[in-house]
Amino acid sequence: MTIAAKIQTEAEDGFARSFAQAGFGATQRAAFERFARAGLPTRRLESWHYSDLRGKLRAAPPLAATPGPDDLLFARAERDLRAAPETLKLVLLDGVFCADLSDQSGALSGLRIRALASLPSADPAAILLAELAALAEDPLLDLNAAFARDGVVIEIAEGAQIAQPIEILALCGATGAQSRFSRNLVCLGAGAKASLLETRAEGVGGFGDSALFLALGLGAELDYACRSEGGAPVDVQNIVARLDEQAQLRAAALVTDAPFLRRQWSILCRGENAEVQLSGAALLSQQNHADTTLTMTHDAPSCVSRETFKYVLADQANGVFQGRIVVPPHAQKTDGKMMCRGLLLSDDASMSVKPELEIFADDVACGHGAACAKLDAAQIFYMESRGVPKPQAQAILIEAFASETFDILHDDFLREILQADLARILATGVFA
Amino acid sequence: MLDIQNLHVRIAGKTIIDGLNLKVDAGQVAAIMGPNGSGKSTLSYVIAGRADYEVTEGSIKLDGVDLLDKTPAERAALGIFLSFQYPLEIPGVATMTFLKAALNAQRRARDEGEMSTPDFMKKVRAAAARLNISQDMLKRAVNLGFSGGEKKRMEILQMALLEPRFAILDEMDSGLDIDALRVCSEGVNALRSPERGLLVITHYQRLLDYIAPDVVHVMSAGKIVRSGGPELALELEKSGYADYASEAA
Repeated sequence: MTIAAKIQTEAEDGFARSFAQAGFGATQRAAFERFARAGLPTRRLESWHYSDLRGKLRAAPPLAATPGPDDLLFARAERDLRAAPETLKLVLLDGVFCADLSDQSGALSGLRIRALASLPSADPAAILLAELAALAEDPLLDLNAAFARDGVVIEIAEGAQIAQPIEILALCGATGAQSRFSRNLVCLGAGAKASLLETRAEGVGGFGDSALFLALGLGAELDYACRSEGGAPVDVQNIVARLDEQAQLRAAALVTDAPFLRRQWSILCRGENAEVQLSGAALLSQQNHADTTLTMTHDAPSCVSRETFKYVLADQANGVFQGRIVVPPHAQKTDGKMMCRGLLLSDDASMSVKPELEIFADDVACGHGAACAKLDAAQIFYMESRGVPKPQAQAILIEAFASETFDILHDDFLREILQADLARILATGVFA
Repeated sequence: MLDIQNLHVRIAGKTIIDGLNLKVDAGQVAAIMGPNGSGKSTLSYVIAGRADYEVTEGSIKLDGVDLLDKTPAERAALGIFLSFQYPLEIPGVATMTFLKAALNAQRRARDEGEMSTPDFMKKVRAAAARLNISQDMLKRAVNLGFSGGEKKRMEILQMALLEPRFAILDEMDSGLDIDALRVCSEGVNALRSPERGLLVITHYQRLLDYIAPDVVHVMSAGKIVRSGGPELALELEKSGYADYASEAA
């Protein structure tokens, strides 16, 4: 296919200028060149058909500067406001790992925390990250690879069981309208087990393009909960995961107050009997736009994947879900199921769903489903007839609808954090 | 207690209730019998406040308070309770969460303050035991996967918890076997009191063997066409509703 020459947008020009001024090395230059060739994705690109990033990102905000005292002060307050209790907190400030605002990991054996910028290029973690980065292709991942200077690298040693949940807090400094890029790695050795909470609140302004790479060794288990609230005006979250044999990944997300958010997952099961459970609940109002796009590749026999995504859409909000399950010929006995459900609270809200199955093996069980509906008036009347006022009845139904997606998490702590957030969001009355 | 005057109700342009008058006094059990399509269930929904009905004329008052300008939840807080013919299943909502939300919403509306969790649990357990409702049923989502009999027992449990001033039982006997009918009826009879009114809607006299009415009304084509004592129900059982279709017309 030939790509018609496009006129460079102001944002693309801006990124090119920023890149030229920043003086990055060869690897980053190669990534930027890939990005520059593709440009910001237009709606003509099938995987970006429902999210017009090129139209939305009018200009490239300047790269976030090194945080100053005001930024630290601002981020400290945000951290204290947003962080969950009793977690090991690791703060990314404008995409840069900030040790001053983070907890010390010394007490936890089997856990190693480093800043990405401190990694020598020959470090095994750096090599692993490069391997994982090669698994997914997307202009925004290239843009991230081009600009990200730092992030946090979390390594969990073989057999280590980290009981304390680890929390990555992605915060922004006092200056809002900046471009933030971070590149993070969570690596679990064979048999390791951990819980990861990601709290994202970079929403003062600007543009965010983050990447999280997950590597799960043989039999490793990771529970991962992401809460994304108050995102940047344009925010892209890339997650790339690779699972070895018998590894288990359970990942749930709660998204709200997202002006324009794209979460894109690329998951590869490369060992037999690996299990992936992905879910997400998005509560969107006003002109919010949240897009979850995922590719789940079963690259080994007998792997299991479940994807369940739910959207609650009020006002003129827009939900997008694109899910693709890929099963190559050798991945016999694959068991994959994908479901997306939308709850439309307003006639002006919209939901776009595109499930895809690419199956080349003959002995597999794969399925997908999608449904959109309004709240059930009969159920609401039933509750009202018992004395529950209508707004509360609606909130109870929405909570039941959305919180089901958290059930995949084995870690009660993470589940309760998401449930508490959901209850708080519903108590604002925006959705009922 | 409940006083309905000259009630006219339409749905989608079609008149369902056409000049109905009905009074039920405190302490009284009134039965409404009538053929299919006579407007019995519509009447129960209109009293409870379901939205899709258009009341074009008339009034419904409980203890002198006009209900028609009240929301369903406000009516419930004033003491109206409807036991549904087909109780709704609400997946994902735990029964206990639902019961507590209902009880406390009504208490808040009446400025009575919320009930503490231990008191609430005690109250639910006691009421559940009387109705043969297991702890397992209480742990499930509201009515989800319940049998017809279990759903009806859950309705009576809600009635026992909410202690309404006036309860409407819409075809409580439909979908019930004889044992479940007895358990539900005993539950209802335990709630009979001089302060509480009951309106029992049914097709069959059988239910009235268990819940003995003080008055029986016959409803046809959207109005009450005859009223009498308990013997009227027995008469209907023999003669059927054929006579009343012509009276209404």
